[in-house]
Amino acid sequence: MIRVVIADDEAPAREKLERWVAEQSDMTVVGSAEDGLSTAQCIEQFRPNVAFLDVQMPTLSGLQVVAQLEPSSAPLIVFVTAFDEHAVKAFDLNAVDYLLKPYDLDRFTRTVQRIRERLHAHESGATAVAIGRARTPACERLLVPDGERLQLIDAASVEWLEADDNYVHVHTAARTYLLRRTLQDLLSQLGEQRFVRIHKSTAVNLGSIGSLTPLFKGDYEIHLHNGRVLRLSRRYRETLFARMGQ
Amino acid sequence: MECLSLQAWLHSGVMNMPSRLPSAVVHTDYGATFPPKTLATLWALWAAFWLLMITVSIEDQLRDPLTRWWEPVLSEGSSALVSTGWMWLAVRVRGRYARYLDKPLAWFGSYLRWLPLVFITWITAVYAIRHGVYATVGRTYAHPGWGFVVVYESLKLTYFTGLWLGILFGIDSYGQWQLQWRRLLQTQKALAEAQLAQLQGQLRPHFLFNALNTVSALMHTDVARADRLVAALGDLLRISLRSNEHEMTPLAEELRTLELYANIMLERFRDRVTLGWQIDQALLDIPVPALLLQPLLENVFKHGVEPTVAHVRIIVSVRRDSGSLEIVIGNSGCMLASEHRDGVGFRNCRERLGIIYGNTASLLVRNEGDGVAARVLIPLMDTIQ
Repeated sequence: MIRVVIADDEAPAREKLERWVAEQSDMTVVGSAEDGLSTAQCIEQFRPNVAFLDVQMPTLSGLQVVAQLEPSSAPLIVFVTAFDEHAVKAFDLNAVDYLLKPYDLDRFTRTVQRIRERLHAHESGATAVAIGRARTPACERLLVPDGERLQLIDAASVEWLEADDNYVHVHTAARTYLLRRTLQDLLSQLGEQRFVRIHKSTAVNLGSIGSLTPLFKGDYEIHLHNGRVLRLSRRYRETLFARMGQ
Repeated sequence: MECLSLQAWLHSGVMNMPSRLPSAVVHTDYGATFPPKTLATLWALWAAFWLLMITVSIEDQLRDPLTRWWEPVLSEGSSALVSTGWMWLAVRVRGRYARYLDKPLAWFGSYLRWLPLVFITWITAVYAIRHGVYATVGRTYAHPGWGFVVVYESLKLTYFTGLWLGILFGIDSYGQWQLQWRRLLQTQKALAEAQLAQLQGQLRPHFLFNALNTVSALMHTDVARADRLVAALGDLLRISLRSNEHEMTPLAEELRTLELYANIMLERFRDRVTLGWQIDQALLDIPVPALLLQPLLENVFKHGVEPTVAHVRIIVSVRRDSGSLEIVIGNSGCMLASEHRDGVGFRNCRERLGIIYGNTASLLVRNEGDGVAARVLIPLMDTIQ
């Protein structure tokens, strides 16, 4: 069975999709959401194969939801929108599919056909995630797990990131969140503006750096405003200095 | 696409924008274009002046018993005739000199440089006529020596030329001022019309597509409701397309339009929104600008309903507030951010109110209670006692 999540903030639009998806013999709707945050939660919880996402939704837009997903495990994404046709067309048609409201059963059936082919070829939603990230302004907000729920935190409030196998500890002044993501992927999501890598397993928010103390062999100690001391490996030294000099 | 008006969108390539845009109106060719009335005024003054001169001259000369009645008439008449010739020429060329009207010295200079020629021709022609007429009746025209005549008449001519050029200058300046004032008013009117046309078409394609999708969803569950929605959408489109011609509409009509829009939006966002009406029925006939309220309700949905998952209550209220009609569209559950700046919708409404009512109408958006209220005040002109 193809597991489907549907997200739209307008009930009639949601019901139309639910009805048509349910009519497909090989598809089942595992979850519906009416805003961005609960959509992300739905995807996290139900691990669907496909997500039909409205672009304009409360809390997080469809694009922002996608930008927060972990690429390799992301579901195939179909954007459903009445929004700017040109913006949607700018998506690589081979990467994501889209439905322009209002759409008819023929158009929907073609989308479903495409989904079957992609799933058969074991494609993931990775390209959709890349597009989502490229099309949302360098992530201002980060979706983090908070117990059973997901929560949005301000990217600026993150002081530093610490890799731990396939997880990343996200350190803010208040607390630390554990994300099932790689550091590389998280940095690509957060953009190059704010965070810079200082070690194989560490990245730091440029704004939280207080001072630098040189050590032997070209390594440095980085003192954060909050008093924590991190190690700057000489491999990443030039990049950091270049960024700090900007 | 998003920011195009519905009308521009529906008519793109079919209907052109009104071409009466002001760019061509602000030119400043002074040319020979004066309001016709100013010329009539000038000639009336001229005729009155010479009638007075002739009358005074007759009365003066008739005290002398040796003088015939026609002698003063001839004297002043010949002067009037030749002077009128020169005046006619001055009026003919005033179009050419009009561009100097804002530089009086240059304007007077361009006329006064002809003064020597005026002296010679005027004295020659006038004295020729007088001598000729006297000779035909077998008499001699007696006058002081030519040296005195030339100096005396030149002085007199300078004096009167100065006087009449002053009058001509005054009349032409006034004419120019009138003309430019009229052009300015036309420019402003054209500008206001162009702005109005632009500000109206308030329905966005985005709204249309979503509404159509709602219809397409409803068709599978409730055909009658889908049908009603299509009809409402049709009515709304019709009103939006028509409203260019009917800039003002009775409040009842405007509220009906608002209800059409609200019905579609309530269907889209059902379970998330409720809408209440508090209308003073006595005010329903008052004319208001067409499609003024719909953008305000659109804003409530855009900023109060769409970004939130909470249930929102919208209230539309119409009442009399001393000398004004007060229309409030308010919603619960969502406050303006402190750094809030009015969006296009509000700015457009405010501009329209300004164009129609000057500064006697107002639109205020602010936090009230646990939500936001947009308050429109329109002066009740007809009912002010």
